[in-house]
Formats: sequence, C-alpha cells, structure tokens
Amino acid sequence: MKNSLFVLSIIALTGCQTVEPWERGILAKEEMQWQASTMEARFRQQMFNSKEASSGTSGAAGGGCGCN
Amino acid sequence: MKYAFKAMGGPCVFRIKARSEHIAYHHAQAAHEEVLRLERRYSRYREDSITSTINASAGKNSVSIDEETYRLLNYADTAFKVSGGLFDLTSGVLRRCWDFRSQTLPNQDEVERTLTRVGWAGVRFSKDEVFLPDIGMEIDFGGVVKEYAVDAALALLKKRKVEGALVDLAGDIGAFSNGFGTPWDIGIKHPRSPEKAVATVQLANSALASSGDYERCIVIGDRRYSHILNPKTGWPTNNAPLAVSILAPNCLVAGSSATIAMLMHSSAARAWLSELGIPWLLVDSDLNTYGTLAGI
Amino acid sequence: MGSNTLDKAKSPALAALLSSAVLLPAYQSAEADAPPESTEIGFRYGKYQEDTVAGSDTLSGQKSERYDIDVAQFSLIAPVGDSWSVGLTGQWESMSGASPWFSLYGADGQQKVIMSGASIEDRRAEYGVEARYFHDEGNVGFNYVNSEEDDYHSDSVGADASLNSADGLRTYTLALSASVDKITPTQGVAPTNTLKADKDIHSIWVGVSQIINDRSIFNLGLGYTQRQGYLTDPYKYRDNRPDNREELVLSGGYRHFFDDQNGALQTDYRYFIDSWDVESHTLELAWVQNLNNDIQVTPFVRGYNQSQANFYSDVAVDTGGYYSDDHRLSSYSAVSFGLRLKKNFGPWRVSATAERYESAEGRWRYSQVPNKALVDFWGYSLGFTYNF
Repeated sequence: MKNSLFVLSIIALTGCQTVEPWERGILAKEEMQWQASTMEARFRQQMFNSKEASSGTSGAAGGGCGCN
Repeated sequence: MKYAFKAMGGPCVFRIKARSEHIAYHHAQAAHEEVLRLERRYSRYREDSITSTINASAGKNSVSIDEETYRLLNYADTAFKVSGGLFDLTSGVLRRCWDFRSQTLPNQDEVERTLTRVGWAGVRFSKDEVFLPDIGMEIDFGGVVKEYAVDAALALLKKRKVEGALVDLAGDIGAFSNGFGTPWDIGIKHPRSPEKAVATVQLANSALASSGDYERCIVIGDRRYSHILNPKTGWPTNNAPLAVSILAPNCLVAGSSATIAMLMHSSAARAWLSELGIPWLLVDSDLNTYGTLAGI
Repeated sequence: MGSNTLDKAKSPALAALLSSAVLLPAYQSAEADAPPESTEIGFRYGKYQEDTVAGSDTLSGQKSERYDIDVAQFSLIAPVGDSWSVGLTGQWESMSGASPWFSLYGADGQQKVIMSGASIEDRRAEYGVEARYFHDEGNVGFNYVNSEEDDYHSDSVGADASLNSADGLRTYTLALSASVDKITPTQGVAPTNTLKADKDIHSIWVGVSQIINDRSIFNLGLGYTQRQGYLTDPYKYRDNRPDNREELVLSGGYRHFFDDQNGALQTDYRYFIDSWDVESHTLELAWVQNLNNDIQVTPFVRGYNQSQANFYSDVAVDTGGYYSDDHRLSSYSAVSFGLRLKKNFGPWRVSATAERYESAEGRWRYSQVPNKALVDFWGYSLGFTYNF
C-alpha cells in the first residue's frame, strides 16, 4: 500500500503540465479545494476521532477534548 | 455576471465568472475602483491628476512622479521609437486647432505654431521626475491609460483568482478564461455599420484594442480628415486607415499598435502590421478589409 | 485557430513594446498570497445520534440508548489590512446518554456489554483564535484553542506555514501543535480510574499540494503525533493503557474537475499506524455535482478499517500490564455514506449534510471477532455562511 502510494505520486508529479495563472479559474472553485467547509469538516472529524482509534487528517493534531 | 458602468469616456462592462454572483460583484467593484483610480490619476480634465500637474509646470519646473507613471512614460518612449516618432504623447495640444464639429479645416499658421509645442523627443524624464521643456507643452496619457486600465483591471481579477473575466472599457477589451478555460468570443464592429461584425476573435488570455475614426472626422468633398493627428505634420495622415483592430498579449500593446497603424498610409500600415506578427485587422477608406483577422 | 493565435516569433518592434509594458505594476506577479477579500461569518448546528445497543448484546438483556450529542458551531474569518486575517471559532456541545462501561462473557459465552447508566447532560465549550500573515510566497498562521468541560480541560497552540513554489504550481505546508490537557473525571455511581491526571500532545505535519493540470490537483502528507501522560479511559471499569503513544499518518488526496458533467471527483486516503499496533486505512470518495440555480449536491462514501491495539481484548482482564476492552481499540471496519446539499442565496451559503455510519462485521483482513459495543450512528448538520 505504501509503495503504490509512492509510485502514484511520482507519476502524478512527472505528468504535470504548466498551468498559467489565468488558466487556474477552475482550480479556484470550492469543490477543487482540499477542505470546503471547515466547520463541517471539524464536526465530522470529531465524530470519527471519537469513535475510531485513528486521528489526523491534514495539519497538526491540535487540541484534545474528553470526547467520548 | 455582468457589471456595467461609465468611465474612460464610454460605456464599460465587466463580465466575471466566480463562485457566486455575490463574490463576482465584490471583485467587479474592486476592479471598477482600480479603473477609476487610473482615470483620476491620469485624466487631463481633473485638476488633481498628475497630468494636470505636469502640464501646469511645463517650461517651468520638473514634477516628481511615481513608479507607475515612470513606467508609462518609458512605455510611451518605446512606442515613440518603434513607430518612428508617430506615437507621441505630446501631440494632444493639436486638438486646439481642430474643430471636428464645425467641419472646417484649421488655419495652417495656427497648426504650425501649435506644432512647435509638440515633440516627445524634448521630454526629459527619469525614475523620479518628468520635465516638459516648453510652456504650452502638454502630455496626454489618453493614448495609453485606457488600454493600461484594461490590463490593470484584468490583473486585479486574476490576482483574486476568479474563474474567468472579461474587461471592456469603451471598446478596448481584455479577457481570460470564460469559466471553463474556454476563450471569450468577441465580434469586431464594422466601422460603418456597428451592428455588423466585420470579424470575430477569441480571447483566451489576450486583449483586443481598436482604433477608428468612424465617429469623429471632417469630410470635405470626397476627402476625409481623421481626428487622429500626425505629430509631425499636425494633420491626419493622407489615406490613413478607417479602422484598425489588434489582438495582443495585453491591451496596452494592442492599443498603441492600433494607434500607430492609424497614423500611417493604409498600405504602409498593412505592411507594418503584418511585420509586427500579431493578429490584425485593417479597414481602409474604401471599406476593404485586410489582415489575419479578416474573413473569420 | 491559426490566425487568431499569437505567434511565438516576435518582430523586434513587438518585442520592444512587450518588454517595456511588462515592467508596469499591473503586469507584475499575479500570484502573491493574499488574505480573503471579504469577511465570512458562519453558524452550524449538528446532531450526532448513536443507535441503541440491542438487548441481546447487553448483560442485563435490556436494550440501551447510547450517546447523543448536539453541537453548535460559530466561525468568523476577517481580513485585516492587506496582509493579515483573523479568525475566531466557537463550539458548544451538549452530550447525554450511556456509553459502554465494561464487558463480560455471558452465560452463552458471548461478549456482553455493561452500559453506564444514562448520564446527566454534559457540556463542552471550545474557543479558538487564529491570526494569519500573508506574504508574496505564502502565509503563516498561529492559533490557540481552549476546550472546557466539567471533567476535561485542554489548552493548545499551533503554528503553520505554507510556501508556494515560484511557478505557483506547488505548495508546501508545515504545521506544528502542542496541547496540555487536564482530566478530572466526574465521580458517579461507579469509581473512576483516576481522580486527576494530565496529558500532553505534540504533533507535526508536512504536506505538499501539486497542480497537475488545469483540471486536477494532488496532495501528499505526513504527520507524526506523540501523546504522553494519562491515556487510559477514566470511565472504563477495566482499562489500563501505556502512558505513551506515537502515531504516524500518511495521506494523499486528489481532485479532478469534469467539464462535461460540471462536477468534481474528490478522493482522500489516509494510512495510520501507531505504537499500540493500531493500523488503519481510510478512503473517502465524493462526487460534487453542480446544478442550476446555484445548487450543489454531493453524495459521498467513506470506508474505514482498523486493526486492534496490542493490549485489547473484548473482555478486559487485569493481567498486571496493559489491558482494555474499549471497542474503539478493537479490530473492525466501518462504512459511512451521506449526502450534502449546498445552495447560494446572494451572500448566504446554506449547506445541509446527513451521514450514516455503520460498523461492518467480519469483512476485512484485520477483523477477528467484532466487539459487540461497536457503534452505528447518524450525523446531521445544517449551517450557513454569510459574506460581507
């Protein structure tokens, strides 16, 4: 699993084209962002982190809570 | 969304594609503010503009300028050289001799007297200041500021990462991406029949500027006198084109190239434009169309 | 398209004009990072509802309600001057219901869960503040978050920095955070495992985001977190966990926009492994469909699978070492699916989401015997943002 992720990333990086600033209109759309709604993302992540043994998405861990 | 207003001597329109109409409107307001800023700064009609300050100090003292003004003067200087002296920001004073509404020709003595006040070569400028050597000399940024404003407004919208934008300031147009990265389709108006398109172009990340005298000219007999005056003679060039449109990477270059072409004989203009190497369209006084954009 | 395109070879006249023009301020770099153009304020309400535990799974034979949480969120992000932005967040939760206390083997040899009695309503309040500075190549942010409950107090600080590559196609991110938590468990009918304890969490994250072409982007991330202190669950009857836990996260994400469908595919993957031997995979897929009238519909699905902690067993026994029967440390898999709806009304953006999470039983390679206390739940939320 780790190997294929690595290979996939190399393929993606070498396949990159130059995208001029004026061609990035579509990339500015909300659905093309890494995280659209921070409030909803926080709500969902807290739900999962409280019920699963894993945590962490993007960014450092942040604060804790007694969330049960 | 479409945002219309008046500036730069004519009707202006922004067409902006953004996440929502509301956000697009915010961006349009900011771009509008930028256009007004340039208008306020460079309009010769405003007492507080840098143009008025420079002109009032002609023959007396130099005026300190900012980076943007210096670069515009620098650009005008390049255009002057590249056009063999035809593109001259000091030629604005000649308008005093000509009355296009009266349909009468000017007095030649008056033209010659006014011509002594025309001469870009005499203008002294540096990074920090500009000096017009003779009293009565005037700089008119009108030949560059409208086109520069198209580019400035578009740059502001690009910086704000809108999905697509088109800026139309009284006929000079710049655009990038029609939302899905597709180009904008623009029609070039026929000089005598504005509802017809003489050609259509696609703007992906480029600008279209047009110069034409279809609105203001003097017709005496079968001779037409364009309002675009040659800085060397004080008169319009003989057999000048009726209209020129140019597609270039930015509006400033498109606009000045169009102006330069309008100051040449039609045949010389055609040769110069095709040598320039960017898409062009020229309509001569016999309504013949030429150029790489013609017939599309 | 030939005569409409701009030729590569330029005449000297054109080259001179272009190079002179490009020096003007309007043509200078369009890619400097900048704060948001408008202020955004948002509110969101969410509800989290666990399914009841079946009578067949409890020792008493009675079914039991489980946890219910109501969440209210607030967020404000405002630009300050040309280079700064400030953010404020608030979150208030009210929790009620029962949770698993411990497990025993029943008369039939099966694991039976003993639930804590339905508890009094607990509340949590969290406040966060963030300041962000934008410069030509990226931005830097600092944040502080405080969380308060009757039995849990947490203070955390964090810093992050983003750097854009010269061509603007790649962004590097570094994030650091540290938190200090204090636990003072509420004494109820049953004694808790501790009266007072501390816990520290330190975390670091690095990531890179790359534009592949004008329709797709890709990201990779690596995170390391260390937790030290009292990590045992104070409310479980038999629970004793190591006082140290190290975690590693590897993640990747992809976004692709499809012009013909006017929609985007979003996919995110996370690999997690820690020093307790928990290993997990998470895969999320969403399709964002744009419709007329500023409406957006997004169906999404999430698959999750984890292996158990090395001291876990479905019925905990005090062996003298580490032990826990917390279902959250067991080996299991879960699938959730949901739908998100968004619509713009001028400066208002309203969104509603519903998601159903189910712990699947015995399907993936890590699964052994699924814990009877595994939870299924619904999560709903409704919120809006307003820009001005």
